[in-house]
Amino acid sequence: MIKFKKALCGMAAIGLTAGIVHAAPVKVAILETLSGPQASTGLAYRSAVWYAIEKINAGGGWNNEPVQLLEYDNQGGPTGAATKLKSAISDGAQIIVQAASSSIAGQITEDVRKYNLRNPGKEVVFINLGAGAGELTGEKCNFYHFRFSGNAMVQTKALVMAMKESNVLGDRVYAINQNYSWGQDMEKAIVSFSDLGGYNVVAKTLHDTNKIQDFSPYVAKISAANADTVLTGNWSNDLLLLMKASKASGLKARFGALYLDQPGNLANAGDAALGHYVSHTFNGDAGDAASKQFMADYTSKIGHDPVFIEPQAVWGMAMVADALKRVQPENGVLNVNTLAKALETSKIQAPMGEMYMRAADHQVQLPIVVSTVSKDAQIKVDGTDMGFKRVRVFSAKEVSTPAQSSCKMKRPS
Amino acid sequence: MKTQSVLFITAIALLLAIPFLLSQGLVDAAIQMLIAALFASAYNLLCGQAGMLSFGHAAYFGMGAFATVHAMNALDGTGLLPTPFMPLAGAVGGLLFGIVAGYFSTKRSGTYFAMITLAIAELVHALAPQLKDMFGGESGISAMRMPAWGFTFGSTNEVYYLTLVWVLLSIALLFLFTRTPLGRLTLGLRENAHRLRFLGYNTHRLSIMVFAISAMFSGIAGGLQVVSNEAANYVLFDAHLSAAVVLNTYIGGVGSFLGPVLGASVMTFFGYAVSDLTQSWLLYQGTLFVLVMMFMPTGLAGIIASLGGLHKRFGVASLAPLVVLSVISALLLSAGGTFVIEMLQRMLSQNYQSLASLQTATRWPDILLFGQSWPPASISTWLVPISLLAVGAVMGYLAKQWVQILIQREALKSESNQSEKEVVE
Repeated sequence: MIKFKKALCGMAAIGLTAGIVHAAPVKVAILETLSGPQASTGLAYRSAVWYAIEKINAGGGWNNEPVQLLEYDNQGGPTGAATKLKSAISDGAQIIVQAASSSIAGQITEDVRKYNLRNPGKEVVFINLGAGAGELTGEKCNFYHFRFSGNAMVQTKALVMAMKESNVLGDRVYAINQNYSWGQDMEKAIVSFSDLGGYNVVAKTLHDTNKIQDFSPYVAKISAANADTVLTGNWSNDLLLLMKASKASGLKARFGALYLDQPGNLANAGDAALGHYVSHTFNGDAGDAASKQFMADYTSKIGHDPVFIEPQAVWGMAMVADALKRVQPENGVLNVNTLAKALETSKIQAPMGEMYMRAADHQVQLPIVVSTVSKDAQIKVDGTDMGFKRVRVFSAKEVSTPAQSSCKMKRPS
Repeated sequence: MKTQSVLFITAIALLLAIPFLLSQGLVDAAIQMLIAALFASAYNLLCGQAGMLSFGHAAYFGMGAFATVHAMNALDGTGLLPTPFMPLAGAVGGLLFGIVAGYFSTKRSGTYFAMITLAIAELVHALAPQLKDMFGGESGISAMRMPAWGFTFGSTNEVYYLTLVWVLLSIALLFLFTRTPLGRLTLGLRENAHRLRFLGYNTHRLSIMVFAISAMFSGIAGGLQVVSNEAANYVLFDAHLSAAVVLNTYIGGVGSFLGPVLGASVMTFFGYAVSDLTQSWLLYQGTLFVLVMMFMPTGLAGIIASLGGLHKRFGVASLAPLVVLSVISALLLSAGGTFVIEMLQRMLSQNYQSLASLQTATRWPDILLFGQSWPPASISTWLVPISLLAVGAVMGYLAKQWVQILIQREALKSESNQSEKEVVE
């Protein structure tokens, strides 16, 4: 972090001298939750974005000038984010990056849309690196919003396909999710892939989010339903406590969970996690040269392995870099409309496979890897003797799900 | 009275000039400050004047916000309710919900009242994420400010003036309320509700009225928030908003009418400005609250009032050294404290720890802070905050001594006056 600040200072100095020749450099503003109880995810995204911007600048920046990164703390809520977005725009930021929360992303995408409507010629673009709510690429989709992460549909599809191929899915599936839009999206996804996976959803549960301390009544329901597999989109404590309760009751069902790789989960769950499945965007275990090189480089710059959402954020920014490369300066400045059009066609070769943007709803199409928790994994996680062993890597085309029909995107003429 | 009206007019003029003086980002921060000020004033009616400590005021703020966002979407800024009148929908939303919630919660007083308000707020907070049609799900409901009366309401400045008018009007109404018989009875509710009942007043109905009025103005604040953000999200029902209004009100001073306005403005600006400078701004906010509660329970407004009192008692000349000493002491102590907190925060951060473990040359690489690099393992680094804190403490001690001297001097004076009088007699 410290090293990076120095590097930034250096870049700023270069920027100052270069500024004599050119107009203002491109400014990227990251609006994350950097303080308070939700800070850990925001800080992880910030590290990843730092890393990606340094890559862009190492490759010559844009228009022979380094790209500047501005940081804003959204104070954990949409109100703070709205205020900080205005500060960022008045500080000259043209690319807005946010990821950790859908409530904040919902505010930013709408604010960006309205700002662009009211200020033609001064547009800004919103790079969503992680907020997964379906409506962001559905009824709220807009030309200046791009999502670079998977969503409930894509990740569940990969999970179901891989578990079926490995013959661990069974035909009785229990869906347990958090009762808010993310969990509701997950439940819909699990039900809609029942034909693909050849299973019956024997029961569905939606429970309070991050409020339940004891999941044993829910585990009793799962066991009474005689489920082979539990599919869940739960994250943080809701996943951890659910797994602990199922271990305590000796539940035999196998878990397929989207957030099993959140740091700390395996250490807390212990052996209860063995044999469970996770679908994520990157797993460097037993990987090819490209994955290894990426992991080593990231570790040397940031100080820890790229885990959880970091790889996905880095590639999201790499796609932005790809688009920037194809945009020529107009009178020395970046035209965001041109950039947005270039983003619609951006395509990169990530270590897991090809990633490209879908123009219809601005949802990235990305490869998904499904892994299982095993003691055979080469990379051990959280100081345990377990890690994530790759089961199957799906190409972007294989896991793609159609764009939502509710997305009616208005394009600038 | 004359100085008061001069102060008042200057304040209004300053508020009117803000868009010409500040950048757009700061004007938006000013809007948030105004909204927080109104919310704290509305809260203070209940907490400060009626003596009912509510722990769930975010519920009424949020109801006002959602009422406004639905009104904005349904009416499209046309018809009877153009954009400038939109906060009225918030007022109605807050009022209606306040009557219902007030009916239940004011049946009890004291701790039980606080618990009921907390329960109602939590009820709404738990329910909102599950009612997607009404509260919009995770990404919230958005609306758009429509042009009205020749204004587009597209720029921050126009929103600022709209907010300013509403906030000034609401605070003026809240002030006038304290002058009405009902407002006087509100104080009676705080001081001795039993006696009011013996005098023949229906205290339950009275409490509901005060509660509902407080909720109504909270709803206006929520409505203004929506007009400014053009969106509402169920995050508004979060407990931290309820906590923030309690903190702001107490830091400003619960005893005076304008104290909460001051506290809310200061704390909102603090959050806006400091959150970009340091990750530990929440820690500073909490520390500030604890210090205010410990050393000046009357809040910021209390300091101003006691300064005024001292000024009358001792005059400017003998007060000046006290003010200078206290200000220097406070600055040094906070500088020292900030240094320690920032150093520790950087030293304990994950990134620093992992960088330190990568470097083999030194166990503790230098830390960049305030534009300089500090070796965390050397004593000279830590001497800086220690000396700051020590000098600050000495200054504070001297200030305290100075007050003692002043009081002794006064006592001596009055004694000698008395003895002179005796001699004359």
